[in-house]
Amino acid sequence: MTPGLLLLFDLLLPAVLLWLAWRSLTSSDLFRAVILFIAFSLLLALAWVRMEAPDVALAEAAIGAGVTGALLLVALARIESAAGRRLSPSARWRSAALVLTGTALLAAAAGLLWSLRLLPTMPGGLGPLVDRHLAESGVDHPVTAVLLNFRGYDTLLEVGVLLLAAIAIWCLDEAVPFLQQPLESQLLTGFNRMMLPILLLSSGYLLWLGSHAPGGAFQAASLLAAGMLLALFSGASLPAQWSGLPLRLLLVLGFFAFLAAAIIGPLTGRALLHYPPAWEKPLILLVEWLLTLSIALILTAAVIGGRPTGSRLYPPPSSPSAEGRRQ
Amino acid sequence: MNAVLLTHPWSIWTIIVPLAAAVLAFLVPRRAPLAGIITALSVALFVAATAYRIFLAGPHIQLLGGWQAPLGITLRVDGPALIMLLTSGLVGLTVSFYAAGYFTAADRQERRQQHYFWPLWLLLWAGCNALFLSGDLFNLYVTLELVTLSSIALAALNGSSAALDGAMRYLMAGLLGSLSYLLGVALIYGAYGTVDLTLLGQTVRADGLSRAALALMTAGLLLKTALFPLHFWLPPAHASAPPPVSALLSGLVVKAPLLILFRLWFEVFPDTATAGMAHLLGILGCGAIIWGSLMALRQQRLKLLVAYSTVAQIGYFFLLFPLARGEAAATAWVGVFLLVLAHGCSKASMFLVCGTITRLAGHDRLTGLAGAGGTLGARLLVFALAAVTLVGMPPSSGFIAKWLLINAAIVTGQWWYLATIALGTLLASGYVIRVLSLAFTESQSPPLPIAPRILRWPPLALAVVALLLGLAAFHPAVLTLAGAPVSGIILLEMVP
Amino acid sequence: MSVSLVYTAAGIILFLLGTYGLVAYAHLLRKILAANIMGSGVFMVFIAVAGRTPGAPDPVPHAMVLTGIVVTVAFTSVALALAVRIARTSNRAHLPGRDEEQR
Repeated sequence: MTPGLLLLFDLLLPAVLLWLAWRSLTSSDLFRAVILFIAFSLLLALAWVRMEAPDVALAEAAIGAGVTGALLLVALARIESAAGRRLSPSARWRSAALVLTGTALLAAAAGLLWSLRLLPTMPGGLGPLVDRHLAESGVDHPVTAVLLNFRGYDTLLEVGVLLLAAIAIWCLDEAVPFLQQPLESQLLTGFNRMMLPILLLSSGYLLWLGSHAPGGAFQAASLLAAGMLLALFSGASLPAQWSGLPLRLLLVLGFFAFLAAAIIGPLTGRALLHYPPAWEKPLILLVEWLLTLSIALILTAAVIGGRPTGSRLYPPPSSPSAEGRRQ
Repeated sequence: MNAVLLTHPWSIWTIIVPLAAAVLAFLVPRRAPLAGIITALSVALFVAATAYRIFLAGPHIQLLGGWQAPLGITLRVDGPALIMLLTSGLVGLTVSFYAAGYFTAADRQERRQQHYFWPLWLLLWAGCNALFLSGDLFNLYVTLELVTLSSIALAALNGSSAALDGAMRYLMAGLLGSLSYLLGVALIYGAYGTVDLTLLGQTVRADGLSRAALALMTAGLLLKTALFPLHFWLPPAHASAPPPVSALLSGLVVKAPLLILFRLWFEVFPDTATAGMAHLLGILGCGAIIWGSLMALRQQRLKLLVAYSTVAQIGYFFLLFPLARGEAAATAWVGVFLLVLAHGCSKASMFLVCGTITRLAGHDRLTGLAGAGGTLGARLLVFALAAVTLVGMPPSSGFIAKWLLINAAIVTGQWWYLATIALGTLLASGYVIRVLSLAFTESQSPPLPIAPRILRWPPLALAVVALLLGLAAFHPAVLTLAGAPVSGIILLEMVP
Repeated sequence: MSVSLVYTAAGIILFLLGTYGLVAYAHLLRKILAANIMGSGVFMVFIAVAGRTPGAPDPVPHAMVLTGIVVTVAFTSVALALAVRIARTSNRAHLPGRDEEQR
């Protein structure tokens, strides 16, 4: 593209993003709002590509648009079937408070935007430092090196947050089947037969790519999760004998492996997450593979939205009024 | 032996052990209470080892992955972190024992709560300890999210409508707070190219951009600490959660964003924050003390009363910002950190007593509790013991802490803060006496059954520890200043 | 350089837009959507800042945004599960107002 066209693109893209966000927030129909949000996320992925952040673009498209979109759509259907489509009227005190909020936010916008002039014109950043130590990290792709080695501690805790989300969701409710009966559509079955191997393959490819190019465990996991969800939508289900301990084991496997790799360091007189020399590569690879599997299952469990039914360990919650009294 | 004690990274095990135990508790729910108790004992041990190491060898930095900052993340094992870890260890240990007795497998509903409490609480504990030790702005965000999300799940644990609404309000406030904090971190990275606290402390310029970032981060953290007038989400969430959870939320979780605030204001941005900004926080703190106490006075339910008391007590912590000035800095610093420890123990104890009373009486309405007999009287005695620290009567640790704050107010000549502390103490005695008077009310209601031992001892132990800490406050006070951003001597204008 | 400033500014406006949505709307799904828009704004500031360095963009903010995206999806999933549970328990998709709470 010529510089002129590129400049036009750089002005147009943020403008369209802002417009989509605004429309998504204000659209009176919630289904429409969610669709607009998914469009917003996809366009955001384009912006990340433009800003030379291909890893983030992949994650945004797969997790921001894909998984979050699926989560929102499924939740919307469930909320509306339980609470109805009627939007609650906003209370009257709100209008005054809202004007106040709006004014405060406008003032904040002015202050923040004005302060941006103080951003250094020639910032340092950590890019050169990452490059210098890349050879010692066990991977060849800078973003993966930061995620799994230099700032691996962040990633360890972040996977902990994901696992925590799955536990919290299981604690809240039981899973309700998506469909009373599996869809017996020829089209869907044919589509699935085609899509599932493609998703599986591309997930493996992304994971493999992550060690030296944009890609990695999180992006691969969301593709894998998409495959699992497709299978679920067309009526597949986990065998009942798998929904107990085996499923829980698979959910925690990635996190547990990461944790085990992390404590090799302190047990051998090194720092936490300091892998023994020459072991970095195989350890990181192993952790990544197991993480992909567990994260895919956690994301799938999040969309299903509840603990597996029929487990003897976790009986269904009794009626809310009875619980209220016990409290 | 001593060499290992003084060189081994003990502090990291306070994070790793709960993380691993949370996984095990989730895998084998039947053994979850056992995993919880073993974890509680070992975390207490690791905190003690960390304290020993700091006491003998001084504060230190722990590298992660073997990488120096700014490339890697570092842990700061210093005095302020240690006081927080001590609070976490004491509160966590006792609440774990209490919870092992409170959540039983009596019926299906209780079994569900028991099975989910342990993995969630252990993740929360790991998150708290990780946050207290973190020396990296972005890592603080991740730990903060671990703490918030597990707190929300715990607040919703009993599944009642009130608990779900409280958890949702908490979640919304939490999201707003953490994203605001994260935007501040993004601006800081843009300006300085690092998120390491120590490096930032050396390079930060006192300009408009730093102030904007500090304002964003502070606003987000104020929402998360529930400082008046951003406290709206706290009372419903804390009051509708199961009692062991309330004890953890009030005793431990509100202190997590507080430590980040202290680190930001005193270590990273000491010159960026203006005196006006510090006074604003101080005034909001005064507002919290007065408003929270007044609301506590008019509550009809015991748990809500204690929850509003937390809103009030949070206010005292914010007096640090205007009081830690000039030669009074060390005095105010030690006072506030002692108060964190004192409040953590006493408030957790009070919520646990609430839990026992609710379990016995079936409700916690104040009018309905009047004169319920000798059993209740004994529970209320424990409540009173914990309240001695909360109100700040001698010889408790709460008294020493408030005494130091009062001295800092005198040294810096800020009488209005002294007046607020005095008024807050008066109001606190008011709502505590209101509860205690119940024990002396004549009533025909039948006496309550005696609580099981495991529901009686933990709150008593915490109350006694809080009280006795006042007699042994010297060591914690010295440790508080190890590696702290303020230094100097502890000034006492008035000696008790 | 100026391009990155445009995206930084857009990120800040997205953040504030999301904040308004989170505060102003009662429907829980809308609030959760707004929080996601806030998050996108913050991530945009990170990415824009990473693009300011001379040469290849700084990978550290990219990794931070990846972490942020995953943490946000974790929060979103719990928030939605909670919203669904509230809808099923109380037949409403919003939190009770001040008047309702007094009951």
